[in-house]
Amino acid sequence: MSDLDRSIPPKAGEWRPFDFPSFERRRLRNGLDVVCAPTKRFPLLSLDLLLPAGGYHAGPGEAGLPSLHGDLLDEGTHKKTAIEIANEVERIGGYLGSGSDWNVASVGVNLLSQQVDTGLALIADIARNPAFPDDEVERLRRQRLTEILRRRSQPGSLAQMTFARTVFQGTTFEAPLIGTEDSLEQLNRDDCVAFYKRRMGPAGAVMIAVGDFDPDALVPKIDAAFGDWEKQLDTSEPTISPEPLTSVEVHVVDRPNAAQTQLQLGHLGISRNSPDHPRVLLMNAIFGGIFTSRINLNLRERHGFTYGATSQLVYRRGPGVLAMRAAVATESAGTAVQEVLHEMRRMREEPVSEDELRDCQDFLVGVFPTTLQTIGDIARRLEDLVVYDLGEKYYESYPDVLRHVSQDDIQDAAQRYLHPDRLAIVAVGPADDLLPQLAELGEVRVHTP
Amino acid sequence: MMDPAPVHLDFQRHTLDNGLRLILHHQPHLPLVATNLWYHVGSKNEEPGRTGFAHLFEHLLFQGSEHVDTNDHFRLIQQAGGTANGSTWFDRTNYHAVLPSHRLDLGLWLEADRMGFFLPAIDQEKLDNQRDVVMNERRQRIDNQPYGRAFECLLGMLYGEGHPYSWPVIGYMEDLEKANLDDVRRFFRKFYVPNNAVLTLAGDFDPHRVVEQVERYFAAIPGGAPVDQPTPETRIAQTQQHVEQDDVELARIYMGFVVPAYGTEEWLAANLLATVLADGKSSPLYEDLVYERQIAQDVSTYVFPTELTAAFLVIATAVPDTTPEALYAAIGEHLDRYIKNGLAEADLERARNRLLMTHFHQLQTLERRADLLSRATVLFDDPSKATADIEGYMRQTPEDLASVLRRYGSEENRVLLTIEPEENA
Repeated sequence: MSDLDRSIPPKAGEWRPFDFPSFERRRLRNGLDVVCAPTKRFPLLSLDLLLPAGGYHAGPGEAGLPSLHGDLLDEGTHKKTAIEIANEVERIGGYLGSGSDWNVASVGVNLLSQQVDTGLALIADIARNPAFPDDEVERLRRQRLTEILRRRSQPGSLAQMTFARTVFQGTTFEAPLIGTEDSLEQLNRDDCVAFYKRRMGPAGAVMIAVGDFDPDALVPKIDAAFGDWEKQLDTSEPTISPEPLTSVEVHVVDRPNAAQTQLQLGHLGISRNSPDHPRVLLMNAIFGGIFTSRINLNLRERHGFTYGATSQLVYRRGPGVLAMRAAVATESAGTAVQEVLHEMRRMREEPVSEDELRDCQDFLVGVFPTTLQTIGDIARRLEDLVVYDLGEKYYESYPDVLRHVSQDDIQDAAQRYLHPDRLAIVAVGPADDLLPQLAELGEVRVHTP
Repeated sequence: MMDPAPVHLDFQRHTLDNGLRLILHHQPHLPLVATNLWYHVGSKNEEPGRTGFAHLFEHLLFQGSEHVDTNDHFRLIQQAGGTANGSTWFDRTNYHAVLPSHRLDLGLWLEADRMGFFLPAIDQEKLDNQRDVVMNERRQRIDNQPYGRAFECLLGMLYGEGHPYSWPVIGYMEDLEKANLDDVRRFFRKFYVPNNAVLTLAGDFDPHRVVEQVERYFAAIPGGAPVDQPTPETRIAQTQQHVEQDDVELARIYMGFVVPAYGTEEWLAANLLATVLADGKSSPLYEDLVYERQIAQDVSTYVFPTELTAAFLVIATAVPDTTPEALYAAIGEHLDRYIKNGLAEADLERARNRLLMTHFHQLQTLERRADLLSRATVLFDDPSKATADIEGYMRQTPEDLASVLRRYGSEENRVLLTIEPEENA
């Protein structure tokens, strides 16, 4: 024991390399792609079919339709009721679901690899023969109206909705993914059926398979289940281009008795597949993306204003957002906002230190294998690859690309992607207490939940 | 039926001279190692009037120690490409990290420094700062969340005043105010001793060297006095009803009753029963309340794995125009039907398969494996119990489930808490 000097952190041992799990991409005759990542570690299988029918693909007046459509896919087919489908997979322990995010619709199943045939038959039936039964359409429509009501008492949801309305004004992204009261009043079964015919089919669709299987055995089964599926009517990809804000916009959502204030600040962000992405990722990590980031150390560890402050790059096909969030003591809300703006300016005006950048690179490169332990982890990374068109070699080169970002690159990223004088500031809390604290930032608009 | 065989976790066990128990699970498929340190102290070891201290203390343990500067714990872990966190619960506090395996020494050094050399580094400023952070955590998670205070209200109803599970882990604001540095020192000396801890390492390490590696950092830390755990009387809850108002749009109901502790056969039966009732769309409560009658927006069930005794909860949110009474009645019908007629083998089979699959999925991560081994060792002094639940579920019969419900969940044992929208608007 005597040789131990506790005042110095122990040296690293011998580094063991890590490679992103290998995968391959094959195309069926009708254009459907299959991405296979076989891994034998666990007797599990995850199958995810992604289709170009996400919130992004809603037409005018269709807010909430892709989401309603996506959730209805597994609520009954021409052969089986919703409960029969659920029972078939749940009695063997599996998990099955359909839905839709902003980018894609998905139908997925998780089960033991020996149950592959059951899983594949179910997702083929759900994707190809959904019935959109009238009573299920009505049930889910009402469930969404209730969900909208529920969100009115959730500070985080209120902040997010007000934020989206501000930064995505005039585009598909301004409404919540599940729609609005107005749009949901209008939606019905015919809309779902029409959306299905328009957007659901093999063109642009990708099946991601991860787990214990042999691709040479699985791909023919997928081909048998999907190879004769006919191409959908509409394979176009819309362009969504919100106008950046030109000044600071302050919004207060008034909750007079709130015990705390929920803050959300930010503006448009970066496309996931932009060549600037690596430097913006690191810049944001230093600014607010990790526990030891500047805004968390400032707001939490120095001032004790909050349990945690983060800045997140939120991606979508098309423009994403850069959003800072913190739930703060109401009496500190104004100071907390000023501190965030101060940290934004500091990122733009001064280069980050060499140590700060290296620590962050070490973290993002080093933590990569930790985020790839489960078949779900691997499936999500492959989904990003597919949805954002990152290129097959993306993960292979990812550590090197991050390592090559310089201090100048970080400052360049801050100057081009952080805009302290052109952003939305949303505060959900007691307006009477917040108005005096936020007035000097710009014109404040007050909303009721 | 699914085969539970692959859930077994291999381990080796060592005990250091100072009483620290070390569990090793060698799994070198990825270049990662999880460190997981459980201290057998949680909110149940607090005194009424001084609640929330165990959790506040967990925050302080990330504020540096004699050889680690204030913000360096997270900084050094992140530099190494690792992740770390801690959590406090009724029975325990755990500190866990996942590191690239060539940085195992760093993780051991950090844990050993705060186990052995924490007190010289603590001061009033750190205590005040983390108290503010925790108060904001409480506001964020409890006071500013819809239904946020329901759970602590329910704990009081289920366990009765003075029971160590009757107050919330995060504590009450007025109690957090009172915490002082003397409390910190006393708490550390009493509970943060090697003989009250279990360290599990899971993943990629050198099996021939690892014990020596751990000894190098931990062996010099002196053991402490044995720690007594509270042994309160277990009471069976008597029926109670309570209505609270909150800033919510939809009413929500909580039905609860007390069942035997985690680790008993009856706990396994209760957890299976909870899975039968509301896990998945084809479960009876979901199918009936959400699909058929459409009176609930959601419904869920929980049984907590706590060591003194456990709570069985059914939670459902009413859709507009449904009364809480309608939800209580509908849930009551299902429970009473099982009490009267028992369950079908198919119900049980489905629940077993769901739990087994969940378990498979969780075992994919080293952190979960390590946590299961630590838990089994802290609670039962037996790491082989880490996967005992799964084998136990196979033993349970439909009659076992019905009988646990008859014995502990009959109408006179249920506490009912309703959270309803405020009337002001």
